[in-house]
Amino acid sequence: MAYVATRGGEKAIEQAERLFRQDLGTIDAARVETIQQTMPYLIDRVMGEASLYSEELAALALAQTGGELSEAVLVLRAWRTTQPRIAIARPVQQDEILTQRRISAAFKDIPGGQILGPTLDYSHRVLATDVLEGKPYAPPAVESAAKPAPATQPSLADWQREQGLLAPTGEAKVAPEDIPDLTREPLLFPASRAHRLQSLARAETGGVLALGYSAMRGYGNAHPTVNELRLGEAEVVVRHPRGTEFSAGRVRVSQAEVTSKEKGGFLDLGFAATFGWNEVKVIAAATLDLNSAEAPVGSPVHEEFYLYHTESVEASGFCIHFKLPHYVTFQSTLDAMRDAKAKKSAAEQKGAVERQTEPAE
Amino acid sequence: MFNETPSGGPDQGAMLGILARARPERLKALAETLLESMGEIAVLTNRTGLVMVPMRDTVENVDFHLGEVLVSEAHITDAAGHIGYGMVTGRDLERAMAMAVVDLRIATRGEEPVTKDFLSEERAHLVAEDEKRMRQVEATRVEMETF
Repeated sequence: MAYVATRGGEKAIEQAERLFRQDLGTIDAARVETIQQTMPYLIDRVMGEASLYSEELAALALAQTGGELSEAVLVLRAWRTTQPRIAIARPVQQDEILTQRRISAAFKDIPGGQILGPTLDYSHRVLATDVLEGKPYAPPAVESAAKPAPATQPSLADWQREQGLLAPTGEAKVAPEDIPDLTREPLLFPASRAHRLQSLARAETGGVLALGYSAMRGYGNAHPTVNELRLGEAEVVVRHPRGTEFSAGRVRVSQAEVTSKEKGGFLDLGFAATFGWNEVKVIAAATLDLNSAEAPVGSPVHEEFYLYHTESVEASGFCIHFKLPHYVTFQSTLDAMRDAKAKKSAAEQKGAVERQTEPAE
Repeated sequence: MFNETPSGGPDQGAMLGILARARPERLKALAETLLESMGEIAVLTNRTGLVMVPMRDTVENVDFHLGEVLVSEAHITDAAGHIGYGMVTGRDLERAMAMAVVDLRIATRGEEPVTKDFLSEERAHLVAEDEKRMRQVEATRVEMETF
């Protein structure tokens, strides 16, 4: 193994970074604030993949990377490592979430009812080109209901268990400080359920969508139906030094349960959740979870396949490293190729000579 | 499970929750006013950090880590050893410190008119904000029928 030193590289590298940053112009607080205020779903996606909830820092990361999502997630994950972990919050439970969107494609009459919430599901997707002609788009106001929706909605899965539709399950018994944590320990297979769901929560949206979609199209074992999709805000419940639990604020979260067919007398269920409102990601991720149990090794729905390949920083890092100097590696490939050609040529010449020396029949 | 140590009760929890979500400028202004009559205060901690948020899976009731939330924390004490504590989501050390000051004030003197009024006003503001939003959300309730 040998390395190639490139003379003059330092200056070129510095100028290359300058060129990248020059193209983005001056980044100030106003730009960051504009991104934060106007791009909430993009902010949510970045926070989810970075596994760090801070709308302000996510907006800053987007500003300084020009919206290059892999770089934005990377810089946030790197910054995260500079901060101490102060506490572990009380686990968020589904029926405690301030629910603003909750739908089921499997059951039309779910306890608590169906609330569409903010969505474009039933909208025409038309580009508002009038805005470019100087006519700002001001959205029409929502005609509020007389009474507010309930702050929380019951767990559909609990109701289904009561109806005998889902397999009974035990109580959660792991103390928060003992919950397996991918940021402190490696991902090993078969993965614990806690590792699988944490990994999916921070997975790259496009990767999860691609692999989940492959399962939906038939490359998996189970076709999903959304049992429940829920978007809402969860309280970050921490403990005061005097022992009192209190909420330090709220964070936006998404959850999805998908179901398929009966298995062992019960409906099979897959689950996923993430920071922010990102329903494509959680539906696709829950589909992967649903398909995992019977997945053949090496298939897109096998957990080792989808967890490794949707880890955004590792995947993008491995991909982009291929553009870095590989001269020695590639030189050995060239040497091998030339050697093979030389040997083949020599063999052909030798064969030709031998054929010429064969006696005529 | 979450460590169930003795607490200051639901009222204190609600009070701290209101302080954590109170309008930042009003909270900071209140803390500035209160500080003038609170004597020497020592700052034990004033930092940003992370709180890991677990979530409970509905399929197998397994708790898993959703991710970490950036928070600001302040921990202060007065000469008598009383403590004040503040933690808020986001990066705002002044806001966390202001929460700790109000918490310390209430811990040492109980609810005075100035803090009682503040908590009442902020609680009303937060309730109104939630109600406004959830009335809009309720407008999206849909009744599904099959044909």
